[in-house]
Amino acid sequence: MASSKGWTWFYRLGSPRWFYETTGRWLPWLGAVTLLLISIGLVWGLGFAPQDAKQGNSFRIIYLHVPVSFLALAGYYLMAIAGAIGLVWRMKLSYVVMKSAAPIGAALTFLALFTGAIWGKPTWGTYWVWDARITSMLILLFLYLGVLALQYAFHSQEAGSKAGAILALVGTINIPIIYKSVDWWYTLHQPATIKLTSAPSMHPDMFQPLLVMIAALYCFYALALILFTRAEILRRERDATWVRDLALQAESSRENE
Amino acid sequence: MQFQFENLEELLVMAGHGEYVWTAVLVSLLTMAWLLVKPLQQHQHNLRDIARQHRREQQRQTTNEAP
Amino acid sequence: MNNIGFLAYLRRDLLLAYRRRGEAASPLMFFLLVSTLIPLGVGPDSARLAELAPGIIWVMALLATLLSTEGLFAADHQDGTLEQMLISPQLVVMPVLGKVAAHWLVTGLPLTMVSPLIGLMLSLPEIAIVPMMISLAVGTACLSLVGAVGAALTVSLRKGGLLLSIVVIPLYTPVIIFGSATVQTAIDGINWLPPLAVLLAMLCAAIALCPLAIAGALRLVNSN
Repeated sequence: MASSKGWTWFYRLGSPRWFYETTGRWLPWLGAVTLLLISIGLVWGLGFAPQDAKQGNSFRIIYLHVPVSFLALAGYYLMAIAGAIGLVWRMKLSYVVMKSAAPIGAALTFLALFTGAIWGKPTWGTYWVWDARITSMLILLFLYLGVLALQYAFHSQEAGSKAGAILALVGTINIPIIYKSVDWWYTLHQPATIKLTSAPSMHPDMFQPLLVMIAALYCFYALALILFTRAEILRRERDATWVRDLALQAESSRENE
Repeated sequence: MQFQFENLEELLVMAGHGEYVWTAVLVSLLTMAWLLVKPLQQHQHNLRDIARQHRREQQRQTTNEAP
Repeated sequence: MNNIGFLAYLRRDLLLAYRRRGEAASPLMFFLLVSTLIPLGVGPDSARLAELAPGIIWVMALLATLLSTEGLFAADHQDGTLEQMLISPQLVVMPVLGKVAAHWLVTGLPLTMVSPLIGLMLSLPEIAIVPMMISLAVGTACLSLVGAVGAALTVSLRKGGLLLSIVVIPLYTPVIIFGSATVQTAIDGINWLPPLAVLLAMLCAAIALCPLAIAGALRLVNSN
């Protein structure tokens, strides 16, 4: 019995209603913390951090580019893990999380590419180079788009979720191979003469705001993921009594206004 | 720690790199805002949709029971 | 040895391919035709063609394999063979591996065999011919295995073809990198075995992992 008691939180986590109600209480706090961290990080990074000796002010893009790239990659793993949990334990909620993670991850990957391209113009003199990291990011974007497209292609929601989960898992095994291959490919074709400032050698005054921005992006990711998941929960659980009550309640409060 | 720019104009120009930095910031913030607004809209839309569907079903039930 | 399913499906698919020879030859035709388009687009300058040849041959081989993967499970899905395979008591992994092996024998191997011809037409240096053939043989096997995962995921969809390419092409990237690198290093006169070894390692990993993903995809996605 003790062991079954220890697992109740896990089963409760699988209940869409529990998730919806709990995260509803967190949302205002999480939103406030996200806003605060992003404001602090951006003002600090854009205004107060000293400029880079070589790249001047254009290096300030790092405060968006690096955190966004972090989350774009971490988001893929989160999506795959959610999919795996869905496949193994048939947990309804984890498929919802997986589905929600796909558009967020794709948008962040796009942002990583976009900020990278803009950064490249003053640094390398061109918007696009087939740099190892940029190329890997592009492939990551395609992986995200594949999962997105596959999920929506099926009429049956369950089949779509399972297909997406399997593809996400296959992609997860592939990502390290893709990264290593692209890295190797890049060194083969052109020696890495131009390198951006790598993180460990950064001055603390530059590094601290970056840490703040990374924390901010983690909070933002959690916030966006929760919002997407909540909307999707309502859609999938539309026949449940608690969802119907919620909808009627929302309607009556709208009418009273 | 010291603010790096003398005035607002310098902050915007950033010694020639302003257009790049601010475009990156603007597009990032817009995309991130979209990632929050989109699910919120969807949430409201779903709530409305479910309430409407419920009312339609109830109407059908009452008209079926009437005769 | 529990390879009965493997041999049975291998033999069956080879027989089917033999009976529909025209259909089986179309990836090969595609490979030849599109490769002749390249000089028309790039120009007849043999030095430039030689420079582009490894990349062109590999991209064309990849596309030709991709074209044929779409049909890997389609016919079996339509006539119910797939369902029979899934409900049979034996492991789905072996029959799946048999089908993929047959697919490689019908597409990858012929592609490898005609590739010297394309190499000749694109004035690929002679020292690179053998590395190209070995890398194509190993690489197309990888492509068949990875492509089969995509084919299994999309088999029940009506318009699966385009989706298949979106799903599978990102997964193909390591193969094309090391495949064309094998040819390129051979042209440069460097030892071309290291990239080939990586390609072989990928094939081993793919043989071990892909059938599991394919079996999972067939069972989970198409059971409802």
